[in-house]
Amino acid sequence: MTYRGVSQKLTTLVDYAHMASAEKGAASSGTDNLGSEETRPRPATTSAISPSLSEQRFEDLLEAAPDGIIEVDQDGNIQLANAAVERMFGYTRAELLNRPVDLLVPQASRGMHHTHRAAYWSHPVTRPMGSGLELLAERKDGKSIPVEISLSPTHYKDGFRVTAIIRDISARRAADQKLREIQELHTRQLATANEQLEARNREVERANRLKSEFLASMSHELRTPLHTIIGFAELLGEQLEGPLNSKQQRFVEHIHRDSLHLLELINDILDLSKIEAGHLEIHPTAFEFSMALGEVLATVRHPALAKSISLESVCENGLNIEADRVRIKEVLYNLLSNAVKFTPEHGAIRVKVGAAAGHVEISVDDSGIGIPAEEQASIFDAFHQVGATTRGVREGTGLGLAITKRLVEQHGGKISVESAPGRGSKFTVTLPLRNAAVKVKDFEER
Amino acid sequence: MRKILIADDRAPSRELIREILEISGYEVVEACDGGEALEKARELTPDLILLDIEMPTLGGFDVIRQLRTDPRFAVTPIVALTASAMQGDREKALQAGFTGYISKPVRLAALRAEVARLLQ
Repeated sequence: MTYRGVSQKLTTLVDYAHMASAEKGAASSGTDNLGSEETRPRPATTSAISPSLSEQRFEDLLEAAPDGIIEVDQDGNIQLANAAVERMFGYTRAELLNRPVDLLVPQASRGMHHTHRAAYWSHPVTRPMGSGLELLAERKDGKSIPVEISLSPTHYKDGFRVTAIIRDISARRAADQKLREIQELHTRQLATANEQLEARNREVERANRLKSEFLASMSHELRTPLHTIIGFAELLGEQLEGPLNSKQQRFVEHIHRDSLHLLELINDILDLSKIEAGHLEIHPTAFEFSMALGEVLATVRHPALAKSISLESVCENGLNIEADRVRIKEVLYNLLSNAVKFTPEHGAIRVKVGAAAGHVEISVDDSGIGIPAEEQASIFDAFHQVGATTRGVREGTGLGLAITKRLVEQHGGKISVESAPGRGSKFTVTLPLRNAAVKVKDFEER
Repeated sequence: MRKILIADDRAPSRELIREILEISGYEVVEACDGGEALEKARELTPDLILLDIEMPTLGGFDVIRQLRTDPRFAVTPIVALTASAMQGDREKALQAGFTGYISKPVRLAALRAEVARLLQ
């Protein structure tokens, strides 16, 4: 009786099985597996109808299924339940058979369940139940378990039945829940880390702003008195208020030169901090390299001449480069004025400029006092000065090479030095040419 | 004689500029803050104004804003003379309506050349 529906389904199955074994027999006269299974003990579930071999096999299948399988008649009574249902709900089969399926539906959902069941009868198709909803089933002990149910109708002579396959998804839910908790934990940790990072960024920004403000006001406060010191020294030097004797002239020159030096220091410090804060903008234009070099050579020619230093330069004509012209001139000026400072009288300075493989290579070679090997790495550090110049004093701000290196690097170039004490120094700068093909005349500054 | 108004809150600075420019043959009028600069400008309508930016009570930017709305000063050369030398300061000044920007410390030759150019 319990398996009446099953038996009916099985009629078809058995037919298929017979057909299959008949085909098999015709092909290879194989053993009838179904026959050998006839001797197996019957499971606890019994059917009202005398089971055939296939029915036995079907029962085995039903009992072995991990999902709960029930069949419900049109009145809503359970007509079939497998072993998984017993395990899942805690009822014995005897407690379920011929009882309303509502037994397995949580109290709260029973009202709706009636309506849904009625709707299903009017349109019986194979489909999941409560698609998109979180379904709950109720165990005998009153506990709810999350389930997934698929429904399929079966037609019988006396009407429909619906087979429901019930899958207990508690484990999956628990795993999902655990995953969600882990994700939430990670999200929270990430949010905390982000907040900390943002706070740190704000602090860094604030520190940077304070530093910029400090530099701006320091610059302003130092320039204000320098303005009058330099200005009045220049006015005195003009001797328009009466002639100065030679000693007075010398005194005024000292004031003037040292105040200009102080100004240079302030400008260099500002430059360096701008470069280090990444605030120094490079404005590349296309220009002919020899022109820029010529302008710089003109400014160092006089001090070189004063020391009888020969100043030679070899520069490829028509060598164009796209770079910040003012800054490149600053680089050249720093290297050349250093060379003059550290080269004794009657020495020689050679500048060589040539292009190769998309780069321009500039070398400034002097016959000066040279740099000891152990100092060569640190000469590009801020405020590092290599001993005394040829005048026996420390000259300059000690920032020239630090700025030079950073300017070269900001152009995507490199600077290096080869030197030995007493044998001169050779500084080599390599700069990318970039759009060297641009016509010079169109871009030459002013 | 061309008249130049110089506004600066520091007396030595005013004296310096006065000396530099008087030697070049200009008449120099001094103002020691923004308010006095506005007063003297309206009263004397100078040919050129050298304005310090940072002055007490009324700064250079406030002064030029008021002067530029006055038709009498629509085209008067007004030069910012300031110890601010940070990047962007020059652009800010030119945007505010200054004709030129000279940073302190001034070099005599450069100041004379700029004044002569503006008064041509």
